[in-house]
Amino acid sequence: MKKMIGFIICLVALLTVAFFTTKTETVTKKEKPMVGILQLTSHPALDLIYKGIVDELNDAGYIDGETMTLDFQNAQGDQSNLNSMSTRFVSRGADVMVGIATPSAQALANSSQDIPIVLGAVTDPEGSGLVKSNEAPGGNITGVSDLTPIKEQFSLIKEILPEAQTIGILYSSSEDNSIVQAEQAIEIAEEMGLDTQVMTVSSTNDVAQVASTLAAQVDAIWVPTDNTIASAMNTLVSAADSNLIPVFPAVDTMVEEGGLATVGLDQYELGRLTGEMVVAILNGDTNPATTPIRYLDQGDIIINEEKAEQLGLTIPTQVLEKAKE
Amino acid sequence: MDLIVTATAQGLLWGMMALGIFITYRILNLPDMTAEGSFPLGAAVCAQLIISGVHPLIATAIAFVIGALAGAVTGFLITKAHIPGLLAGILTMTGLYSINLRIMKRANLSLLGEARLTDFFTGFNLPSQFDTIFLGIILVCIVITLLVLFFKTELGQAVIATGDNEKMARSLGISTNQTKILGLMLSNGLISAAGALIAQDNGYADISMGIGTIVIGLASVIIGEVIFGNLSFVNRLICVILGAIIYRFIIMFVLLIGLQPNDLKLISAIILAFCLALPSIRTKYNLNFFQKKELL
Repeated sequence: MKKMIGFIICLVALLTVAFFTTKTETVTKKEKPMVGILQLTSHPALDLIYKGIVDELNDAGYIDGETMTLDFQNAQGDQSNLNSMSTRFVSRGADVMVGIATPSAQALANSSQDIPIVLGAVTDPEGSGLVKSNEAPGGNITGVSDLTPIKEQFSLIKEILPEAQTIGILYSSSEDNSIVQAEQAIEIAEEMGLDTQVMTVSSTNDVAQVASTLAAQVDAIWVPTDNTIASAMNTLVSAADSNLIPVFPAVDTMVEEGGLATVGLDQYELGRLTGEMVVAILNGDTNPATTPIRYLDQGDIIINEEKAEQLGLTIPTQVLEKAKE
Repeated sequence: MDLIVTATAQGLLWGMMALGIFITYRILNLPDMTAEGSFPLGAAVCAQLIISGVHPLIATAIAFVIGALAGAVTGFLITKAHIPGLLAGILTMTGLYSINLRIMKRANLSLLGEARLTDFFTGFNLPSQFDTIFLGIILVCIVITLLVLFFKTELGQAVIATGDNEKMARSLGISTNQTKILGLMLSNGLISAAGALIAQDNGYADISMGIGTIVIGLASVIIGEVIFGNLSFVNRLICVILGAIIYRFIIMFVLLIGLQPNDLKLISAIILAFCLALPSIRTKYNLNFFQKKELL
């Protein structure tokens, strides 16, 4: 009982001090600028974006520990950490904050309305409520969208598999960005006269069963930029392989992990582009409110020839010529 | 200093969730996994209502009611379908995933720019996070008062008796099935309301925000007990809230000393395991320094 009251008194005292000091406290000007990067979870695509950002910063002369302070936090998928980590950036006086994946960006947006925030890999910033509009963000947030060239991807499917009629679409129902992409994909497929069969998973545990059910009903499987599927790519590929069905993922790293082909955004280049925007803000060249959301101009055709051979498919030569080595 | 304020603010909100866990885990003596589903349920219901223009206070209250219904489902599975408690909770939690997706219609609902409960304090020009702290203190006081009043009633005492000794309670003419369902409803209502509050604080509701919440809740309950010892009922409830705040301090400390966030889950589990094992370590080695006063 005494201990409890003691603790409450200490806490109240601390809070009272904080109450009267934080109001007058001004963030002391630091010699080196500080960049805080908040990543939702670890998987190859997000890790590459992070690498791209850091490389771009280094090339522009911002080197961690020398000309700037870099604070990197990874919530490992636990959303209760995102808030503490965002506040950590704000309290350390970050000059720019970068959110990799939507929830981390939302946590940052919630922690500060003044510090510039750059979005890395947020598919639809407007739809996620992060910016007023993708063209004129209007607040302290701008960034890079990772919306993939879905139309080009479906054209590629038609080029490689001219006889394919039904395309399976597999994504995780727990990710907002995937739903946006899947809706667009269904529309595009309809325009091209293809049928779609849509299935969703709620976690990586469902992938094996849902994928084998889907693979038995379709001619090819398309997957969007999806964190859950990306984590379980091997499971998806082995289910598809046993039905001899090719997988067309939206992301280049997923082709390396057993997908057949894609017109993919280079995740590393996405990171470089994000880094470019961070540098522009650090140099004082841009104002987030008037900087439109940027997109990668063009995707690369990436073919997994080993997988094609394994599935007994011949990739048309005109496609191979356009493909990136 | 800022970090202490944030940790306290977060702890107060998570404390509401911990109170819910306390009711099932300590009072009803029933580890209830429904929490991981009813927590995002509250967030989903509240976010969807706020976006449709409902006042945040009403939205939070409705989140409580819907959460209580989820608790009733688990209670029904346990008492009427005779499914073991742990399994029943897992079943409801799993089912709620789909229901939450239906409610939100997408995986993530943003509340940026929408009305929230903390808006009530915007006129006072408080330092950052203090709106959450004042809101948290007010809500915690109201909830603890209501809980204490409820557990003093005949019905509340019947719930306590059910958890203490079910056979004895039944022999006294208590309908233990009803009291169990009631306890689960109260617990999950609180957890759901906490989900609604945290969604408003985070600025979004997300389908996967329930993952790991049960460990956070349990850790808060147990840290409170271990540090502050065996106390009267009112004080035990206060200690649950303090436990939630201390848990946030621990997480803050772990992040501050530069440990990898990747290791956070392991650290949480170790802290919880240590706190759970502490009472038996104490008895074994006769180390009573923590609870001397109470034992004398």
